[in-house]
Amino acid sequence: MTDLEDFRASVREWCRAHVPSGWRAAQTGAPDDDFLAFQQAWFQELRSAGYAVPHWPAAWGGGLPVPEQAVLYQELAAHDAPRLVLAFVAIHHAASTLLGAGTDEQRRRHLPAILDGEIWCQGFSEPEAGSDLAALRTTARRSGDGYVVNGQKLWASWALHADWGLLLARTDPEALERAGISYFLLDMRTPGIDVRPIRQATGESHFCEMFLDDVVIPATNLVGEENAGWGVAQATLGAERGMTMLELAERLATGFRWLVAASPLDDPVVQDRLAGFECELAGLRALCRNLVERADAGRAGPADASIVKLHYSELLQRMTGFGADVAGMEGQSVLAKPASSGWESGAWVLDFIGSWEWTIPGGTSEIQRTIIGERGLGLPREPAAAS
Amino acid sequence: MTTDELHDELRTVARQVLGKADPDLAQLAALGWLGLEVPEALDGAGASYAEVAVVLEEMGRATTAGPYFATAVLGAGTLGMLEPTSERDDLLRRVANGDCRLSVSLDGESGLVADAVQADRLLVVARDPGGGPFVVSVTAGDAEPRPVVDATRDLARVTITDGGERWRFASDPDAAVRRLRDRAAVALACDSLGLSEAMLEATVAYAGVRKQFGRAIGSFQAVKHACADMLVLVSLGRELVRAAVEALVADDPDASVAASMAKAYVGGAAVDVAGKAMQLHGGVGYTWESRVHTYLKRATLNRAWFGSPAEHRRRIAARYPSMAQGSDRSVSFP
Repeated sequence: MTDLEDFRASVREWCRAHVPSGWRAAQTGAPDDDFLAFQQAWFQELRSAGYAVPHWPAAWGGGLPVPEQAVLYQELAAHDAPRLVLAFVAIHHAASTLLGAGTDEQRRRHLPAILDGEIWCQGFSEPEAGSDLAALRTTARRSGDGYVVNGQKLWASWALHADWGLLLARTDPEALERAGISYFLLDMRTPGIDVRPIRQATGESHFCEMFLDDVVIPATNLVGEENAGWGVAQATLGAERGMTMLELAERLATGFRWLVAASPLDDPVVQDRLAGFECELAGLRALCRNLVERADAGRAGPADASIVKLHYSELLQRMTGFGADVAGMEGQSVLAKPASSGWESGAWVLDFIGSWEWTIPGGTSEIQRTIIGERGLGLPREPAAAS
Repeated sequence: MTTDELHDELRTVARQVLGKADPDLAQLAALGWLGLEVPEALDGAGASYAEVAVVLEEMGRATTAGPYFATAVLGAGTLGMLEPTSERDDLLRRVANGDCRLSVSLDGESGLVADAVQADRLLVVARDPGGGPFVVSVTAGDAEPRPVVDATRDLARVTITDGGERWRFASDPDAAVRRLRDRAAVALACDSLGLSEAMLEATVAYAGVRKQFGRAIGSFQAVKHACADMLVLVSLGRELVRAAVEALVADDPDASVAASMAKAYVGGAAVDVAGKAMQLHGGVGYTWESRVHTYLKRATLNRAWFGSPAEHRRRIAARYPSMAQGSDRSVSFP
């Protein structure tokens, strides 16, 4: 056996012993407290096996080579392990920001805490700054050895339960849009923060809006230089976008098997559609593995992450839409999906509605196509609108 | 040199050579491409299908016409699976040296055989009633040209008049013929991938310089986003082709599935890419001089040849009933 096969065997053994049986039923319609406790417990279970943050550097508790990461995600998906939805922003967005642009002190303060269960949310978007993120209006005014923040943030996932937030705010109101933005770590327990859940299209409420009223952030929580936050956000989130896709593509592969099991296979039209999805899925999975390997070696192309994000999200939408179609009227009566699952849970109608959670956030499909065209293919930028 | 570096070098040479003119049999032999898969003892390079795939992709990029597909991919591929006899070895040596132009029909007497008119020898996969397949080797005789819309391909209907020699496959003949079909399908996927890359590059270059409404058309979202979609198709296609080529080289048991995935996806995607290229080139793209039509026609022929996307998807889907049985949520894969 090769080392990789040995590794696969050990992950399989671990999954069989540790993936909680019946978690889907228990988590379907579970109250928030149950969900939080379940997520935290599962995170610690993964952590004790060394599987929680395989993509982090070894010094901070990760260090798994990319081929092993791919195997890990394949096996977790194949054994239908719960997903780390609550820790997602912490282990991906926050960690890649801290590792890429944080100070040693910031890393020491937060990376071990994340392993201990510190929850993070992201405060980037605003009511008037969606796709045009650089139009954000939240201000951070220098005051003594800190900043005073005022404004409103939208689409902060799990903000109601978050300990810390990633925050973009304008520190130079005179500068051109992108030039005046700074990147902060926000302690969510600071006075002046008001978090309200937003009810989403699926009926759930994990996204929140966040009102910031004279919120004080110490200068030690600035990431990178003042007014250099745009670059920090782009560099760390672009790379990170690819890493999360490795797991999501493997989850979608498991979703595909359920789709096959749920489909009337005696219908040749159905067979044809399924085989079409499988081809795309095989290409996507290979693309994700390549991307992560290239990113690991510092050779990622400028649009690689956008290509996988765009294709993943639109394939997810088409597959879940097809699932809703083959599930027929019976499928319409499935009113809840398990918390801790992704949007390939097999509750196809809700999965389908929820799939817009991938084509809109993190840069809409339209924004991804513009990035691919301009950064990946070198096509000319659109002239700026006259203002 | 690593394999990647070797492939890069081969690719660079191929792009230069094929960009100038279509090489004839002697030039292909001099380049060493005809004998890539022929053993060194028989004057070949002892390389693999992975290197052939590099040449094929570049031939798609240049819409190359000529004997390579029939002689090297189908011909040398078929000979390589036959029982090693002195006649077979001699023929392989002649192929590597450019002394024999081959044509192969995998479907007996058939209406669309590549390069049959100009071939020196014809290999026909035939079968006895109730028996397994074998190969008949005939000095090419009755081949009636069948012109097709894609002028870069040379096809003919063949009829066997003399008895020829009967040659046997070295191992399971049905598996051998299946593998030959997989090789042909992946060869066309390589070709379609190469021509898609060429069309994407040409379209991006054109959209960057062609001005309408006072600005480069590539700055308009409608054009830019269409180009982005082309890149996504090409990127996924490249992965599926790579996987299929690797599976064939490794003689993976799932190579047929990988081959069908590559052929189904890239075969269709190349038509979409070349069609979008024609659209985005506007009126210029519809002219004979632009050569976009050459790519679109070749893509359309590649899509149909050696199994349409729907036929390959049917092969892929044949696994689903057993997959569905084994997919309660505790079962592991792959």
